[in-house]
Amino acid sequence: MASKITPLRVVAGLVILGVVGLGVAVGAPVAFGGDSGNPSASLPVPITPALIQRGSYVAVEGDCAACHTNPGGQAFAGGLPINTPIGAVFTSNITPDKQTGIGSWSYGEFERAVRRGVRPDGTAMYPAMPFPSYAHIDDADMEALYAYFSKGVQPVVQQDKPANIPWPLSMRWPLTWWRWFFAPVVQPASAPGSAQDAELARGAYLVEGLEHCGTCHTDRGIGLQELALTPQGGPAYLAGAVVDNYSASDLRGDPLTGLGRWSEQDIVEFLQTGHNSKTAAFGGMTDVVTHSTSHMQLSDLQAIAHFIKSLPGSGQEQAFVYNPAVALELQRGDVSARGAQDYLNNCASCHLSSGAGYTDTFPALAGNPVVNAANPVSLIHIVLTGGSTPPTAGAPTSFTMPGFADRLSDQEVADIVTFIRSSWGNQGAPIDASTVAGVRKAINAPEPTLSK
Amino acid sequence: MTIKMKPVDAVVIGMGWTGSILSMELALEGLNVVGLERGEYRDTSPDFTYPKAADELKYGIRGDMLRKLSKESVTVRHNEGDSAVPYRQYNAFLLPDNLGGAGMHWNGQHYRPSPEDLKFRSHNVQRYGANFLPANMTIQDYDLTYEELEPFLDKFEYLCGTSGQAGNLNGTMINGGNPFEGARSRPYPTPPVPNIYGAELFAQAARQMGYHPFPQPSANCSQPYTNFYGVRLGPCNLCGFCERFGCFLYSKGSPQTTVLPALRQKPNFELRTQSWVTRINLDNTGKRAIGVTYINAGGEEVFQPADLVVLSSFQLNNVRLMLMSGIGTPYDPSTGKGVIGKNFAYQMMSATSVFYDKDVPINPFIGAGSGGSVIIDEFNSDHFDHSKYGFVGGGYIIGGQTGGRPIQQLAVPSGTPAWGEAWKRAAKDNYLHATSVVSHGAVQSYQDAYLDLDPTYRDTLGNPLLRMTFDWHDNEYKMTQFLTDRVHEIVQQMKPKSYSTLMRKPGDHFNVRQYQTTHVTGGIITGADPSSSAVNRYLQSWDVPNLFVTGASAFPQNIGYNPTGLIGGLTYFAANAIRTQYLKSPGPLVQA
Amino acid sequence: MTDEGISQERRRFLRQAIGTIPAAFLVNGADLAAARAQTAPAPYQPTYFNVDEWAFINAAVDRLIPSSEAGPGALDLHVPEFIDRQMQTPYGHGELWYMSGPFNPNADFTLGYQQPYAPRALYRVAIADTNALCQQLHGKNFCDLDAATQDEVLGQLEKGKVTLPRIKAIEFFIQLLANTKEGYFADPMYGGNLNMGSWKMIGFPGARADYKDWVTQYGKVYPLGPVSIEGEKA
Repeated sequence: MASKITPLRVVAGLVILGVVGLGVAVGAPVAFGGDSGNPSASLPVPITPALIQRGSYVAVEGDCAACHTNPGGQAFAGGLPINTPIGAVFTSNITPDKQTGIGSWSYGEFERAVRRGVRPDGTAMYPAMPFPSYAHIDDADMEALYAYFSKGVQPVVQQDKPANIPWPLSMRWPLTWWRWFFAPVVQPASAPGSAQDAELARGAYLVEGLEHCGTCHTDRGIGLQELALTPQGGPAYLAGAVVDNYSASDLRGDPLTGLGRWSEQDIVEFLQTGHNSKTAAFGGMTDVVTHSTSHMQLSDLQAIAHFIKSLPGSGQEQAFVYNPAVALELQRGDVSARGAQDYLNNCASCHLSSGAGYTDTFPALAGNPVVNAANPVSLIHIVLTGGSTPPTAGAPTSFTMPGFADRLSDQEVADIVTFIRSSWGNQGAPIDASTVAGVRKAINAPEPTLSK
Repeated sequence: MTIKMKPVDAVVIGMGWTGSILSMELALEGLNVVGLERGEYRDTSPDFTYPKAADELKYGIRGDMLRKLSKESVTVRHNEGDSAVPYRQYNAFLLPDNLGGAGMHWNGQHYRPSPEDLKFRSHNVQRYGANFLPANMTIQDYDLTYEELEPFLDKFEYLCGTSGQAGNLNGTMINGGNPFEGARSRPYPTPPVPNIYGAELFAQAARQMGYHPFPQPSANCSQPYTNFYGVRLGPCNLCGFCERFGCFLYSKGSPQTTVLPALRQKPNFELRTQSWVTRINLDNTGKRAIGVTYINAGGEEVFQPADLVVLSSFQLNNVRLMLMSGIGTPYDPSTGKGVIGKNFAYQMMSATSVFYDKDVPINPFIGAGSGGSVIIDEFNSDHFDHSKYGFVGGGYIIGGQTGGRPIQQLAVPSGTPAWGEAWKRAAKDNYLHATSVVSHGAVQSYQDAYLDLDPTYRDTLGNPLLRMTFDWHDNEYKMTQFLTDRVHEIVQQMKPKSYSTLMRKPGDHFNVRQYQTTHVTGGIITGADPSSSAVNRYLQSWDVPNLFVTGASAFPQNIGYNPTGLIGGLTYFAANAIRTQYLKSPGPLVQA
Repeated sequence: MTDEGISQERRRFLRQAIGTIPAAFLVNGADLAAARAQTAPAPYQPTYFNVDEWAFINAAVDRLIPSSEAGPGALDLHVPEFIDRQMQTPYGHGELWYMSGPFNPNADFTLGYQQPYAPRALYRVAIADTNALCQQLHGKNFCDLDAATQDEVLGQLEKGKVTLPRIKAIEFFIQLLANTKEGYFADPMYGGNLNMGSWKMIGFPGARADYKDWVTQYGKVYPLGPVSIEGEKA
């Protein structure tokens, strides 16, 4: 069956490959060291209904279900394949079943797994588990999470599936080496200025830790580690990255390619509903909204927005200025610009000749950071396969854009994407058909019905 | 061997407009609700996305959204003594199927009744005298007033995000709206869709003649809109593929775009598609429904016990299911006694194609199902003095077109051959320059127009088809001639090159080959008295109080308007009574 | 090569059968160039109709919508291919119609179609009966009649002025004309309306289905050509 959690799939694969390569290059196992936690620690507080309730919310914030609940399977029983180029890793059963789940784990073992990526037997986890981010979870939330997974979740008897990774790639010691090299010190996040701004502190805590936003939105280095795990780590933090043939957006203050034009309220609305006046969620973000952010408290979403808006842009981009010329041309039937007619034929009924779309309904293309991103892969990907906004309790309508892979040739997609990226004040560079062909192949999208 | 399901609080038969609304309202009340739909699951995506929604052959001509007549049809005859024959191909009216029912492929023409429509017999008798009505005309009053119904008509409009211009806001008349409408408590949820060119030409002519043209009230949202269930609709772009089509822009009000996304989030609601109900089961007293029997996708018979049964399928199917279940007394046309099948009614249209010269580009493909068209309501209901015309009722007159789909909607001037070079040239010369003006008239109810079970023809399950006994009457010939005369006066004022009209004249039989409307009504009519009606004002069966029957089957006679607004209003009126009265004390809500 | 000895209708039939595209319906030079650039595909081989039926369909649709300088004809737009392909659909097999008996084929016309034939059987029976009638009246099959006589026969079917032994003539004509116009105007993916020729002729933008910008541009000619569902554009 297909893996659901697409962003992690490729990340995990690359990480494993990279680490194995590095490990072999070093040529010797590295002794396990550093801060390894205390596996025999027991929960220092009593388990109360309130604590379980809080843990349930922490699990939502951490989006544990995204990987540990296999669609169609039982809650938290694992079994979701995370496909990698060298084989599939399956997520584990984290229900409190004593034999097949984590029901016999001590608090210390649980804590070590979540925040440090260490299994009870002392070996390292695949970093598909975002423990470098979870390292920033504080003790109180860890305890609540343990309470929830001990008493708040229905135990399910389901054996974990071993990873389908052949020896020698299946050896775990390079993962330990990776963990030792890249995983941060376990301590709650603290943003500069947090002492004066409690909301900023809460936002940093969530974004850097439980929400693990950087897993997708921060670019990775040679060891496929995130280039920065905090704002202090450098300007790469949440500056966007390519994940599973989408570009996860730049969340920093850049006015064209980032969230510079968004208000905090825009961010809150997006996380609540998957859309706002400027854009709509796509790719892996729809799952994040569905399972996690749409269930979160308003104050937490506001804190996240507040923190994200504290991240400065690069200072290299000019502000977006809407240019009405293209809309006026289209509205009088002038389709002489490259891609203009194909845009009218396929896109304008929802996104309009003005590129403005409709608030909370069909995303704007004018000024949209996804459109202006240096890497056009998201735009190409969406044109080919379409997408749906996530239905949530508060906003149950799921608006769907159909895929156009079977209607448009590579050249037509390139023309449309170039048109979108260069119209209404957008400043994205043109793209060519071979770029589209590459994406079409990578995502296995259909070919056009008609030969063109 | 019948499969017996776990009992539920309520079972809903048919998941179109009224079934979806009642399922939601009962689920909000905390009831465990099962919705049974005989057709397939379908939704905007993946079924009606662009561009595949814009397929005239598949949807407009082959009727892909409709009930396949091979499974089930009706039979038709003109008179009681004739033998009926099956309605074998779609023409005159359409039968819905699948999730969302007709609510998915309607045009969104969203009207309220005129206040006098709800008291149509007493109003006409009072104004014109009892002798003004033909002896065999069996029109009746509703047992509720416009004022009682207004909050629920309003609620259905706010469900759909209906676009329009109020004409009477709490008694204050507003220019540009319908001056004949009953007072409305709020403006329309969204502003009118702009007039298309053909409608604008009609509006200008009508205004010059002293009429009061107004934008057709339309469940095609003019802008995105979020309703009280939190469901959001998109904006209409006048794509020209509306009636018989799904809406790829989420703009046309339908169960899928207004109710089902929220209903789907309710853990106490379960939808079962491919569940074809064949019987409402009664206990041995015959006074209480104990559940329903249906045939599932595997052809197995299933019994679903329930405390409350809602019969909310299409009008014709509602009547058929009542007769097949033996609920209520079948109507007898010779005595006028009995109620199930009584007062079947329809509508009568005339259509005038208006052709301009080549210097007037109408661009007929720019059209919406309802938005963008213009109405005059001077000759509907009892908006004018009928005394010298010798008929009751009337209809609205509409200018504009819903699209320019060439297989179905291309008109050529009268006198043009139907084929050959002359036809082709006429098609080429006139296509871009034609619009239309239509009169949309009521048909009253008569003693000899009714529904019963056909003795000969059967559906694929072996159950009898419904038989329709129906033909036109003098009142309607006069009505349509009167309206068409008014149409011609306006059309002449529009100064076209030519025009041609299709109108039913005295002596013309009801012709199933000509599309009129899908607005078939009656058969389980609502009223104050169990001897002359099948359901009370709350659409509750007089005979079986834990059965509610929704939809146009409740109309005692037809109206000049499209029925969906009234259907929605009656549904919310019933839902409110169930939620606030019936569930607290199940039993008859009106004492017979 | 000369065309001597071949009737105008035969020529059209042959032209259609070898898959060439006449310039008559092409609206502008760019279309013409595009059409010339196309290599002629193999002629369509009917999958349902037999040789006589195929000849009848080709000849009949050519009279119902002839080719002329005013615009393409039914043959130009591959309407026979459309009709043949429709015969393979649920519609052709009668799965959209109520086809249970008993049948009362002489019921009043206003009560609708009452013949005991789904489209496939209807064509099979009616074409054979019509050819038999043409043999009886004119000594030839329909397809071999001259255009004027073909028009006369079609007119007789249309007005019910001839009697076919197994089916009401007018019902056959209604079906034939309906399917011909469908093939002429339907989306090209169904086999007819080649290159959206009929849409270009009348000015219908096809599957564009987006007129937000044009609703209130009263009196302006819509300037853009049609698109098809599969993405053909003009």
